[in-house]
Amino acid sequence: MAQTAQFNGSVTTLRGLATRPLTLALAAIAAMLIVGELLSPGFAAPSQIISQLTIAALLGIVAAGQNLVILGGREGIDLSVGGMISLGALVAGNVMQAENAAIPLALAVTLAVTFTLGLANGFGVTIMRIPPLVMTLGMYGVIQGALVVLTRGIPSGRAAPLLNDFVTNPVLLGIPGILFVWVMIGIGMTVFLRRTAFGLKIFAIGTNEEAAALAGISVRRTRVILFGLSGMFAGLTGFLVLGYTGNVFVGVGDQYILPSIIAVVIGGTSLAGGTGGYIGTMAGAVVLVLLQSILTTLNIDPSGRQIVFGATLLGLMLLYGRQRKLRM
Amino acid sequence: MTEHAKTAPSNHTSLTQRLRSFDLRRHTYLLSVVFFLILCGINIALQPSFLQPGVMVSNLSTFLPLILVSIGQTYVILASDIDLSVGSIVSLVNVATVSIIEGMGGTGGAIALGLTTGLGLGIAAGLFNGLCVALLRFQPIVTTFATGIIFAGLALWILPQAGKQVPATVWQTYGGSILGVQTVIWVLTLAVIFALVLARTRFHHALLATGGQMQSAFQTGLHVLRVRITAYALSGLFSALAALCLVGETASGDPLLGTGYTLSSISAVVLGGTALSGGIGGFIGSVFGAMILGLIDNVIFFARLPFEYQGLVQGLIVLLALAGGVFVSRR
Amino acid sequence: MTILRARNIRKRFGGVVALEQGDLALGAGEVHVLIGSNGCGKSTLCKIIGGSVAPDGGSLELSSEPVRFRTPHAAAAAGIGVFYQELSLIPQLTVAENIFLGREPRTAYGLVDRKRLRSDAETAIRPFGAVVGQGFGPDVLVSDLSADQRQIVEILKVLSENSRIVIFDEATASLDSKQVAVFFDLIRSLKAEDHAIIFISHRMDEVFAIGDRVTVMRNGRTVVSVAIAETTQDEIVAHMVGGAYIAAADRKEAPAPLTGTAVLAARNLVGRKLADVSFSLQRGEILGLGGLHGQGQSDLLRSLFGAESLAGGSVFLDGKPLLLRKPSDAIANGIAYISGDRSRYGVLPIRSIFENLVIGLVSKQRPVGLNYGALVKRIAPVAERLKLKFPSFAAPVSDLSGGNQQKVVIGRWLAVAPAVLLLDDPTKGIDLQTKHDLYVILRELCAEGVSIILYSSEDKELLGNADRILVFNGGRIVRELEGERMGEFELYQAAYAAS
Repeated sequence: MAQTAQFNGSVTTLRGLATRPLTLALAAIAAMLIVGELLSPGFAAPSQIISQLTIAALLGIVAAGQNLVILGGREGIDLSVGGMISLGALVAGNVMQAENAAIPLALAVTLAVTFTLGLANGFGVTIMRIPPLVMTLGMYGVIQGALVVLTRGIPSGRAAPLLNDFVTNPVLLGIPGILFVWVMIGIGMTVFLRRTAFGLKIFAIGTNEEAAALAGISVRRTRVILFGLSGMFAGLTGFLVLGYTGNVFVGVGDQYILPSIIAVVIGGTSLAGGTGGYIGTMAGAVVLVLLQSILTTLNIDPSGRQIVFGATLLGLMLLYGRQRKLRM
Repeated sequence: MTEHAKTAPSNHTSLTQRLRSFDLRRHTYLLSVVFFLILCGINIALQPSFLQPGVMVSNLSTFLPLILVSIGQTYVILASDIDLSVGSIVSLVNVATVSIIEGMGGTGGAIALGLTTGLGLGIAAGLFNGLCVALLRFQPIVTTFATGIIFAGLALWILPQAGKQVPATVWQTYGGSILGVQTVIWVLTLAVIFALVLARTRFHHALLATGGQMQSAFQTGLHVLRVRITAYALSGLFSALAALCLVGETASGDPLLGTGYTLSSISAVVLGGTALSGGIGGFIGSVFGAMILGLIDNVIFFARLPFEYQGLVQGLIVLLALAGGVFVSRR
Repeated sequence: MTILRARNIRKRFGGVVALEQGDLALGAGEVHVLIGSNGCGKSTLCKIIGGSVAPDGGSLELSSEPVRFRTPHAAAAAGIGVFYQELSLIPQLTVAENIFLGREPRTAYGLVDRKRLRSDAETAIRPFGAVVGQGFGPDVLVSDLSADQRQIVEILKVLSENSRIVIFDEATASLDSKQVAVFFDLIRSLKAEDHAIIFISHRMDEVFAIGDRVTVMRNGRTVVSVAIAETTQDEIVAHMVGGAYIAAADRKEAPAPLTGTAVLAARNLVGRKLADVSFSLQRGEILGLGGLHGQGQSDLLRSLFGAESLAGGSVFLDGKPLLLRKPSDAIANGIAYISGDRSRYGVLPIRSIFENLVIGLVSKQRPVGLNYGALVKRIAPVAERLKLKFPSFAAPVSDLSGGNQQKVVIGRWLAVAPAVLLLDDPTKGIDLQTKHDLYVILRELCAEGVSIILYSSEDKELLGNADRILVFNGGRIVRELEGERMGEFELYQAAYAAS
């Protein structure tokens, strides 16, 4: 009994551990909302916030997969998500062809295709021992090429009206469906990471692969699945991007590649693997989107916006990703 | 102690020993040379004029910027870091140089000032990266991505849209020859000589050691910080050099010019047999890696593949080459 | 004449005190032995002197001048060279490049003179020429060398610095007797040139063969410093273990209740470092593996766990042949493996104590929900049994001291309730009290019918706990000690025989 109590008491400590980067990210969000509202009244209006969150949801869902791959350690990273998103949008649009009835099939096909390609990444990384950066970069090139073959340069496929509504228009309480999806993914990811054996295995291989293998975990299989899941989340993002924009263009996913990594890092997940979580990543995605939005609102020209954005990221690095000292 | 001298190997055995101990891991570029030669063969078959001097020089001048960026990227990767800002440095130096030359009236002095400022800017950008990564211990991928955004922003600020002209002397000199030798050949030769000399310095040993086992290098008393910062500065320098070549090639400025070079340079370095984990490899492989990427484009173009398949075939070949290279060198 | 003096040096890593009070006075022309059990702070003291670890307090004096080294480079410039126990070699570079790293000979143009680099390396290697073995030379990559060859490279690297003060931290751990003889000749000539040497070794015979003075360390403190000529082996050991020594040798009352049937049997095992190993393990028995370090004991245990592959031979569990391709095969059959190298093979450093304890339980669980309550019920009694001191299950395991971290790793496997426990030097670098607790638990486990194979680098631990001891040399079992023949002398003799 005493032990159980002790355990329960400690859950708060556990949360306490995880919250440091999360608190920072939330503070940053609050600060940006205040600054934004001061600079441009209406910035923090509910409708504005919802439209910002919709954009953040798209980034946040790709980042979920990126998050898993990075947590798995061994320099885990997935640069192919850009291609996966574009491919997902294309496949979904072509299966759907603006028909509401085809939405479930489109979703299934999209996820199956991108999950399979993600598994291919995983096999390259584990069986052939290609560094993740190289493997996923190569995969990105292949997918880009395949997209051209599939579209013959002319984007095709259209979102079904229902999907379009679901992503962009309010479904319940003035909130669009995509945000419910994102919240569900957030809960799902957190339960998955914290309350399942598989989640525990991800942290284990990310923090000490050799010890994890000696504890009986099949390290390779776990890592292959992580890459598969990353592909799948990117595919889902593509599916939703299709709903958001209504149609497809070839490079639609490219803008998500590096931001998806940054969102994970800002959320407190270490690029070295083994520590972090998805709630932070969600906050990270919101931080990135709000930052972009504030810079747009500020009416500075695009160059100034970029400079401030990059400088802010560097500033955030001061708070997060510092590496170990050589001299102990 | 000197009794052992008699048992020391004679020159003859040491030669055969050296041949026997020949090790792919010490000559990681060999695989890329083989691949390069195969691609040359295919290219000759598809494009018989490939060996004509004019065609070769024009190919070379197309490949040169990526070759230079890749040489620079090699040093950073050898130190087990990475530089995702090289593309932005190329853009920044390109627009800065063009703006200075045009802004000062395109005189000889303006050109000289433009070129030196460009090189200085590249080195400064590299130093900034190095300071963030080595001194402040920021994570290299995220850091150079962020600095890349800043450099790209600066490029846009200097020149919001592609444009501006440099005087004819600039592109005529670059496209022409100096002392009877094509300028692009001069540039490549000088860059290679520079890199060859660098490869024989203590710095280069320290670079390999730092990338191979940073803690050991530190305990050995090497200046690990200085080495990593220098590697980034070299990357900035070579990116700047590539940007100047692009000034000569395009005769104008473009703030988005460098975008494609970042990921291509990493591919070229890996194709050249340099390990992303650091400590193994060298610039020679990267030169061939960059030429391989260029030749793949050539071959696909001359193979008269349907337009829409070109990208896919290129992607597959690059992926296979990357995977194959890693696979073979790990044996 | 005292050339180096360390006073009251202190260092902690996170929550773990590595060095509480380090005092040392080193004279010129002296070989000063530092001795003490694992984890007593010898290496930390050496690293602080060498500038690669920053002290928390205390002072260093070099030729009576106070000094403070901010980097290893500064220490090297002041004339201090260090042989690092974990080596400071770059695997991707050649032998020659490693020996002269940072000090490569240069041509008139300032470039590295590769010819001279090679010939200088050849000269440096020469003394070891006859004893270094196959596949060694200036152009060989360090990653291709065997453990003893790597140590020789590290020795040559330190010697080539020609420092006034040279520190050798376990420089002989993997060397054979001939290699040690050459090494000692080199040390003697250094001594003759008035260099000062700090020498760390666990081999008592070496201490007396080469040392002039000995400083004994215990639990992060330097406890005594005497001239070698004025002390004895027994006296040194007494200082090392101190008054707090708990006799592990409260031997088990009766021999293990042998059922006559072997729980685990191995026949003619052949592996990377194993040559024809056969033995059987009885129920409730502690089978000891002895011999010098690195003679195949760890390899045997890892092979039995499926973590290293066997080239031949067969393993039987309860009489049935067992195929061991990966650790989960062994785990599924009730075999558990605990390594003393916890940072590499044990703890998941940034994760919680809870996760570290349950990972063995859940590693084969399908990706369905974890029942935290049930898991806590499984691990709470284990934590209690191990007398684990911890703030909460959710605290990161790195908050614990080394001994308690090892208890967590042990607890991970006790929770699985294995039938066979493979212990690979399980008490490396942990304190005496924890050791004692562990010994008690081992005995209880045996009484419950668990069978244990114990490898230990400490002879006392082996003699105090094992029912039988198999002595290893060069991957073979060279002797089996049992009953009355099981004594320190016999073990020592068997370990060194034929080496």
